[in-house]
Amino acid sequence: MSQALIDAIAEMEDEKAVRLAGELLGGGETPLAILEDCKAGMAVVGDRFERGEYFVPELILAGEMLKQISDIVKPHLTQDGDAPKLGKVVLGTVAGDIHDIGKDIVNFMLDVNGFEVHDLGVDVSVDRFVEAVRAERPDVVALSGFLTLSYDAMRDTVAALEEAGLRGSVKIMIGGGTVDDQVRAFAGADAFGLNAMDAVNMAKSWTTAGVA
Amino acid sequence: MTETMASTWVNPDLGKTPEELLVERSTRIKTAYAMGQPDRVPISLGLGYFSAELAGVSHADLYRDWDLQTRVLVEAARRYGPDETLGPWHDPRPSTTLGDRMTRWPGWSLPDTSSYQFDEHEFMKAEDYDAFLSDMSDFAIRTYLPRAFSELEGLQYLPPLGMSLFGYYNIILGLPAVGAPPIQKALAAIQKAAGEQAEWIGMSVAQAQALAAIGVPPVTWLGALTEAPFDFMSDTLRGMRGIFLDLRQRPDKLLAAEKKVLDFQVDYAIATCRMLGIPYTFIPLHRGSDGFMSIEQFEKFYWPQLEEMQLRLIDAGITPVVYYEGIWDQRVEYLARLPKGKSVGMFQNSNMKLIKETAGEAMCIVGGMPNSLVRSGPASAIREKTHELCETLGKGGGYVMATYVNELEGCDPDMVGVWVDATKEYGVYR
Repeated sequence: MSQALIDAIAEMEDEKAVRLAGELLGGGETPLAILEDCKAGMAVVGDRFERGEYFVPELILAGEMLKQISDIVKPHLTQDGDAPKLGKVVLGTVAGDIHDIGKDIVNFMLDVNGFEVHDLGVDVSVDRFVEAVRAERPDVVALSGFLTLSYDAMRDTVAALEEAGLRGSVKIMIGGGTVDDQVRAFAGADAFGLNAMDAVNMAKSWTTAGVA
Repeated sequence: MTETMASTWVNPDLGKTPEELLVERSTRIKTAYAMGQPDRVPISLGLGYFSAELAGVSHADLYRDWDLQTRVLVEAARRYGPDETLGPWHDPRPSTTLGDRMTRWPGWSLPDTSSYQFDEHEFMKAEDYDAFLSDMSDFAIRTYLPRAFSELEGLQYLPPLGMSLFGYYNIILGLPAVGAPPIQKALAAIQKAAGEQAEWIGMSVAQAQALAAIGVPPVTWLGALTEAPFDFMSDTLRGMRGIFLDLRQRPDKLLAAEKKVLDFQVDYAIATCRMLGIPYTFIPLHRGSDGFMSIEQFEKFYWPQLEEMQLRLIDAGITPVVYYEGIWDQRVEYLARLPKGKSVGMFQNSNMKLIKETAGEAMCIVGGMPNSLVRSGPASAIREKTHELCETLGKGGGYVMATYVNELEGCDPDMVGVWVDATKEYGVYR
C-alpha cells in the first residue's frame, strides 16, 4: 500500500498521483495494489464530500485522476480483482429528459461507495428501464430528472416495473430538479433524495437491511 | 380559510377594460420589482408549453404553427388573467439552420411532447485558453463557431481576423478566401438564420400585441440576457466538467477569461437595454448554487464577478433580474449585501423563508410555489400554501408569486386556476 498515492489523490495533487502510480507500476507494484490505493484515496474524497469539505470540482478531478491511473494500470491487469459490491443499482435520466449532471454525480458517489452501477444514460425509455431491471436484477433503481415533465416519466417507469412484475424486487429512488416528497408519492417511488449522498445513504440502508 | 369563504370571492378583474388591466398589471409587477407594495401580490405565469397542453396540442405544434401558438397562449392568458406571462421558448428554426449542437427542441430532436433543453458540450478545450485570452474574437469566429454549429464549419478557413487590419492589401489575398465554398456556405446559413430570427421577432411582437389586447403584459424582464462570468465560461464553452477542472488546474487563466467575458457582457447589456428601452437584464445562474462549489471557491470564482456585473448594470440604471437556480441557502448573505431595491431575485429550491428574512430587504423576491403542488393539488393545500406565501413572502411588498421555475408543464389546469384565484384573493394588501 502506498500512503503517498492515497494522500496525493485525497489532497487533489493530480499530477503527483498519476506520476506516483506510474512509478509504483515501474517499481514492480501489482496493478491490483495500485487500484486498491486509488480506492482508498477515493474513499477519503467521498468522506470529505459528505462532510461538505469537498464539492463537485473535487469529485470531477478525482474521477479524472482515477481514469488516468486506470489507463496506465489496467493494461497490466492479469485477473479480475473487483471486490464484492454492496449492491447493484440501475440508474438513468427518465424519458424525454437529457440532463445528466446530477445523475453522473450520483453514479460517481455510488461507485466510490462500493455499489455496482449500471448507468443507462439520459432520455431512457420506460422499456429500457424494464429490460435493464429484468437483465441486471438490481437492488435499487435510481430515476433522475431535471424537468418538471420528468415527473410523468418517473411515474410511467415505476408503473411499467409494476406491470412487469419487477416492482417488488427493487427499491426505487428519484432525484433531481424540483423533486420533493409530493413528486415521490405521485411517481410511486420509495424515496427521493436532494443530493448524491442522499442516494448513497438510501442505497446503503436498503441493501444492508437485506431488503432486496 | 374555508372553501365556503372562497366561493364568495369575486374576481376583481371582472368588468375592467383590457387597457385598464394592462396598466394595472404592469404597474403591479414593476412596483414589486422596485420593492414597493402594490395593491396586491402580483402573479407571474410562464404559460409557454402549458398553453399547448390546455389546448390539447403538442409542444412541437406551437413551433410548427405560429398562429396556433398565439391563439392557445392568448386563450390560456384569458383563462387565468396573470399579471405577466411568457410564451414557449424561442424558435427551433435558426438553430436547425446553423446546425446548433447545443440545443434540442420538441418536434426536432426531441419528442413532440418534450421541452426545449440545453445540451452541454466542451466546445472550448483546456488548451484553448491561450488563444481565447490573446484574441477572443478570432477564437470565437474561426475556432468556436465551427465546433458549435455544424453549418459554420467553413469559418475555420477564414484568414486570421487580424488580417482585416491590413486594409487594401488584405483584399488581394484575404477576400478570395471568403469566396471559398465552405465559407460561402457558412455565410449563407448565417443569412438564412438571421432572416428566420427576424420573422420570429415579428411574430413575438404581434403575439405581445394580441396579449395586450386582452390586458395581459409580457414578462417584465425581457431586456438583455447575460450570464454570470463563471457560467458563461461553463455553459457554452467549457462545459461543467471542463470548468471545474479549470477551477482546480488553471485557476489564473479561468479568472482572466472571466474578466474578459464580464466586460463585454456588461457593455452589451447596457447597449441592448438602451436600444430596446427596457431597463431589465435577465441573468439565469447555473453553477453558483449550494452544492456545486465550496464557499471559498464561490468567493473567488463566482460571486465577485457576478456582483460586479450587477453593480455595473445598476450604475447604468438597469435592474438585474437574477434567477438563482438551485439552492442559495448557504449564500444568501451575499445577496443581502446587494444595493437595496435595485435587483430582483427569482428562486427555485431555496428556503424561501430564509431568503425573505435575510435578503428580503435587499431585493424583490419571485417564486415560492412548488410545481409539484400546482401539478396535482389538492385545491385546499394550494389555497393554504398560497395564503402562507402571501402572508410571509408578500409581507411589506417586494414579492411576485410564481412557481419554482416559472413554468407549468404537466400541471392540472383547474389547480392552476385555484392558485391564481387564491393569489388574487389572499394577496390583497390592506
